[in-house]
Amino acid sequence: MSGLQELADRLAQGVSLELADAPAIVGTPDLIAVGMLADEVRRQLHGVRTTFVRVLEVHVEAIPAALPPGANAGELRLVGPPSSATQALEAVASARKLSGGGIPLSGFSLADLAALEPSSSDLFASLAREGLEAVADLPVDGPGDTGATVTRARAAGLRVERMTVHGAAADPLATVAAAIELQRAVGGFRTFAPLPRTLSTMAPTTGYDDVKAVVLARLLTRDIPSVQVDWPLYGPKLAQVALTVGADDVDGVAAVDSGTLGARRSALAEITRNIRAAGLEPVERNGRHEVIGEPSRSGRP
Amino acid sequence: MSYQATVTKVARGGRVDAAEALDLYLHAPTAVLGRLADEIRALRHPERVVTYIIDRNVNYTNVCVARCNFCAFYRPVGSGEGYVLGFDEIFRKIDETIELGGEQLLLQGGHNPDLPLDWYEDLFRGVKTRFPSFRLHALSPPEILHLSRLSGLSVPQVIERLVNVGLDSVPGGGAEILVDRVRRLLNCYGKASADEWLDVMRHAHRAGLRTTATMMYGTVETPAERIEHMLRLRALQDETGGFTAFITWSYQPEHTELGGGEATGIDYLRTLALARTVLDNFDNLQASWVTQGGKVGQLSLAFGANDMGSVMIEENVVRAAGASYCMDENEIVRNIENAGFTAMRRNMHYEILGEPVFRQRQVPRMLALAAARAEGDTSRPPEIDRYAARSAAEKARRGPPRPA
Ligand code: SF4
Repeated sequence: MSGLQELADRLAQGVSLELADAPAIVGTPDLIAVGMLADEVRRQLHGVRTTFVRVLEVHVEAIPAALPPGANAGELRLVGPPSSATQALEAVASARKLSGGGIPLSGFSLADLAALEPSSSDLFASLAREGLEAVADLPVDGPGDTGATVTRARAAGLRVERMTVHGAAADPLATVAAAIELQRAVGGFRTFAPLPRTLSTMAPTTGYDDVKAVVLARLLTRDIPSVQVDWPLYGPKLAQVALTVGADDVDGVAAVDSGTLGARRSALAEITRNIRAAGLEPVERNGRHEVIGEPSRSGRP
Repeated sequence: MSYQATVTKVARGGRVDAAEALDLYLHAPTAVLGRLADEIRALRHPERVVTYIIDRNVNYTNVCVARCNFCAFYRPVGSGEGYVLGFDEIFRKIDETIELGGEQLLLQGGHNPDLPLDWYEDLFRGVKTRFPSFRLHALSPPEILHLSRLSGLSVPQVIERLVNVGLDSVPGGGAEILVDRVRRLLNCYGKASADEWLDVMRHAHRAGLRTTATMMYGTVETPAERIEHMLRLRALQDETGGFTAFITWSYQPEHTELGGGEATGIDYLRTLALARTVLDNFDNLQASWVTQGGKVGQLSLAFGANDMGSVMIEENVVRAAGASYCMDENEIVRNIENAGFTAMRRNMHYEILGEPVFRQRQVPRMLALAAARAEGDTSRPPEIDRYAARSAAEKARRGPPRPA
C-alpha cells in the first residue's frame, strides 16, 4: 500500500490531504487501510465521542395536530418539497405550534426552497419569522449557485449547516469536491453527510462504495467538523460501520418507539448499544447541536 | 496489549488457543482483527477470486417438534400454518433453479414426525431420476439425528441409506453454539447436543461426504462460548478434514419466543474475522448477506470471507425472523468486482464452475427471494398419505384406517 503509506505519513505529520489524493483512496481495494486513516483523523477531531440526534420528521403536506404519544425529539424536521411558498410558510407555522416552541425546528432542502421563486430572500426571512431555525440540508449535487443561496438564507436568519448528497448516481469525488468548495467559498458548515439520500433499486451503492465515501469525506474535509450518517436510511449495520471509518454523528434516530419490542429495543437503547459496540461513546444532541445528555450504560438518559 | 503478541504469532503461521482467541476478540481493535483476517485470507486465496454458488434454499416442511426458542420458522404439529412441499412442487423448484444456472438444492426443514425416512428416500430418488447431475446438499445433522430416532436406525445407517438414493453433501445447520449450556437455554439440546451434532458430521465425513459448518451467535452465549464452538469445529476438521466452509450469522430475533435484540454489524465483522483467525484449517469462509444485508455482506470480503455464499433464489427461515435481503447473481457479482476481486461460480466442493451465468446467456433479474409457497396456499401433497403417520394430529386428520 505504498500510496496509502505516503498518505498515512502525511497525516501523521499533521498535513491535510487534498483532492489530488482522492484517487489513491477510491482506487484501493484495501478498505481497512483507508478506514484506519479516516478513523485516525476522526479521533484527532472527536476522540471516541459520537453524537446522535432523535428526529421527528413530519411531511410538509401532512402535519399532525399533536405530537405522537411518547415522542422524544431533539429536532422537528419538515420533509418533502413544498409546492409553493405559501405551503412552506403554513407548514412552518403548523410545525411551530406542534413543537410548542421547545423542539428545534428545521425543514426543507435549500434546493427546494430556492426553486420556489427566483429571488428567495423574502421567503427565507418569512420562514425565519414563522419560526424555522434551520434549513435541513443543502444538497451539494443540486443545481444553481448554491453558495449565493446559502448566503441569502443565512442573511435572513436561517442556519444552513448541513451538506448532503441527493442523487443516487452521485460521484463521491465530485460531491466531496463540491463540499470542499462550498466550505471554502461561504464557510459555516458543521456537517457533511456524504452518502446519497436516494437509493437505486437495481444498482444500490455497495458497502465498499459507502465506506469509501465516508472515508473520503473525513480525510478531505477536515475543516467541516462532522461527518454524518443517516441511521434509518442506511440501516444500523452500515451506519455503525461508518462510525468506525470517519463518521462521528448520526442523524435520523427515531423519536418515537414502536413500543412493540420492549425497552431493550427502544431507539435510544439501540443507538447507544450500537455506538458502544463500535468502541465509541454516545452523546445525544439536539438540532442546535446542544448536548442533551450522555446515555447511561443502561441505555437510559 | 497482549493481543499484539497473538497478532504476531498468527501472522507467522501460529495457531491460537482459547485464551489468545478470547483476548483478540475482546481487545483487538476491529481494524486490527480485520487486517489479520484479510492477511490470512490473502495467503489462502492469493488469486483474489471470490466465489459464489447458484443454488436454491428449499425448506420442505415447517412442521417441527424441536421447538427451538430462537426459531421463527417452525409451526407445531397440527398447526393450520404447517406445510409439507409436494414432490412435484420440489421438482418445479429444481426446474426454476436450473433455468437460473443453478445446480444444487440446499434442502432443509423441520423435524416433522409424519415424514419417515422412506419419504426422503423417495424424494431423493425422484430428484436424481429426473435431474441426474443435480446435487442434493441436504439435511443438517439434527435432521439426520431426527431420522435416526424416528427410524430406529443408527446415524451411519441413515447416512448410508440417504447416500444410496442421492445425498451429495450435508449442510452445517443446527449447530447454533456447540456448547450444551447454551443449547439447553435455547431449547435445542434435545434436537442435538454439541457432541451429537459433531458426531453426525464425523460419520458424514467418514462416509465420504463433504459438509459445511455454521455458527449462529448473539443469543445467550458468552464470547468464550463462541470461541469454544470454533475450537470444537477446528478439532473435528483436524480429525476428518471434511468441512468445506464455515458460515456464521447473527441470531434474528423478530417473531421468536426468545426475542431480544440482534447483534450489531461490527459484532458480525469481528466474529467473522476471529473465525478466519481461529479456524486455520478451514479453506473457505462465507459472507452471510442474507442476515447482514448486501452492504455488510460485501464488507465481509475485507474481514476474512472469500465467498459470497449462495444466490439462494428462495429463503424462508431468516425471512420469518424479520430479515429480507435479496441478491441475484448480477448483484453478487457486482459486489464482488466492486470490492476488487474476480467473481467465479463454484459448486459445493468449491470447484470453480466458470464465469457468471448472466454473462453467458440471458437470465431473469430477481429483486426478491421466493418463498416456499405462495401466500394462502394450504394444499396438501397427494403422496403424503402413502407414508406412515406418527403424530396424533396427522392420524386424526386421516381418519380411521380403511379396512383392507
Ligand atoms: S431451528 Fe430447526 S429444529 Fe429448531 S425449531 Fe426451527 S425448524 Fe425446528
